[in-house]
Amino acid sequence: MNTGFSSALLVRIAVMAVVVVFFQIGVVSEVPVFGVSADLSPLLVAFVGLLCGSTIGAATGFAVGLLVDLALVQTLGVTSLTLTVVGYWAGRLRELRDPQAALTPLLVGAAAAAAAAIGYSLVQFLLGVDAPVSFELLRQIVLGVVVDTIIALPVWAIVRRCLIGGLPDDPRRRRRRAYTTGGLSPLSRS
Amino acid sequence: MYDKTVRRRRAVLALLVVLSLILLTAYFGEASSGGLHSVQRGFLTVVSPIQNGANKALKPVRDLVGWFGDTLHAKGQRDELRKQVDKLRGEVIANQSEKHAYRELLTLYHLDNQLSVNDYHPVTATVVAKSPNVWYSTVTIDKGESSGVHVNDPVINGEGLVGKVAQAASDGAQVTLITDSSVGVSARIGTSNATGIVQPKVGDPNDLLLQYLPANTQANRGEYVVTSGTVSSSHDSLYPPGIPIGQVTSVNEESAYRSVNVHPLADLHNLDVVQVLTAAQGTLPANLSRLAANLPAGQHAEGTTGESLALAGSGG
Repeated sequence: MNTGFSSALLVRIAVMAVVVVFFQIGVVSEVPVFGVSADLSPLLVAFVGLLCGSTIGAATGFAVGLLVDLALVQTLGVTSLTLTVVGYWAGRLRELRDPQAALTPLLVGAAAAAAAAIGYSLVQFLLGVDAPVSFELLRQIVLGVVVDTIIALPVWAIVRRCLIGGLPDDPRRRRRRAYTTGGLSPLSRS
Repeated sequence: MYDKTVRRRRAVLALLVVLSLILLTAYFGEASSGGLHSVQRGFLTVVSPIQNGANKALKPVRDLVGWFGDTLHAKGQRDELRKQVDKLRGEVIANQSEKHAYRELLTLYHLDNQLSVNDYHPVTATVVAKSPNVWYSTVTIDKGESSGVHVNDPVINGEGLVGKVAQAASDGAQVTLITDSSVGVSARIGTSNATGIVQPKVGDPNDLLLQYLPANTQANRGEYVVTSGTVSSSHDSLYPPGIPIGQVTSVNEESAYRSVNVHPLADLHNLDVVQVLTAAQGTLPANLSRLAANLPAGQHAEGTTGESLALAGSGG
């Protein structure tokens, strides 16, 4: 399923990951919306998984997480672990269901943001970080998910535009396109 | 083929998760000088200039995005701050009034301690009304006969003599200030025994004149003028001895008598809390007389309070 990915695609993903992480740290984190900052990294990882599949999604999640942990001097591995799971899950969604609805990126983005926030918090609690489970923490998580959901569609459009040229032609999609254009329609054949 | 793909996919996932857990465990368990921390520091060293550059380059974008949020936030803050300002303004006014009253009470307290004013059964009163014109130097206080206040009782504040009670009602009294033309106070200059009468200066109702001093009286600028109290049984004074009235500002040479200009110590324009000495007449505490005799000379009127006066007196 994931065979046929060109090195150009991997380079595009790598460049996009670096740019997004620095943009996240330099700009997005500095602009609070509803008292919280948007988190682009789970959106990026989920959308890469949604476009490229589970293996690439998981690898991107691990790399982006490592980059974030290194750049922000956080505990190494925490963000990697959560984003690996997010990327893998988004890739499996594509491989199993291949959802084509227009709102799919919105729902995937929301789910990815929620999974990343909750997963990160859980790992932090497991590590024994002294922070109470308060209403404020829940509010921050919920607001973060809402903000990420709001920006999910534009981020999806950008990620898709950046990667679409390097994606291999998927036979299932080719078949679907043929149906819609009439070339391979059973009706036209009959 | 399918099995191989599935196995590879699962192997990649397991590998990445295990790698994450190993990183996490190793990083969490090692000291800050450990290998992973060093790698992180090295990465930070390499990336910091890039981060700084990106930070500067992206600042306009950040500012632009922040401007919208800041504008909305600032509007909300402005409205909230306006409410706070209104509220705080009221509190400041109330605090200023309380502070002023507190200072006056404090100076009265010190005066009480230093001059033993307590012997005269002082009644603390608040000035509730002031004469609105320059013709009548009177104030109204909130204590009257029900509190033991009687006509002709001396009235002082923390700085010195203020006046005397002119009329007394049940719960209020009218006080004639020492700058009123109807008031005359038997007084003397602190260092001498020569006595005279303090009255308002003609043409300058805010200033006083100590008149009828013997021609050979030595008076210097800055000396304190205090009440003389009763000097003989035939001339009973309303005021106890030793209460500061003012400071000598200049000496007038006259033929038969000498007179000196006196600036009142009490700020008669800003009276708030005063004390009425309800048992002043006919009592002569010895310590007041001694204190009055030891009052120093040569100090300026500005900023002088009854407290400093009394302290200086006891020190000399």
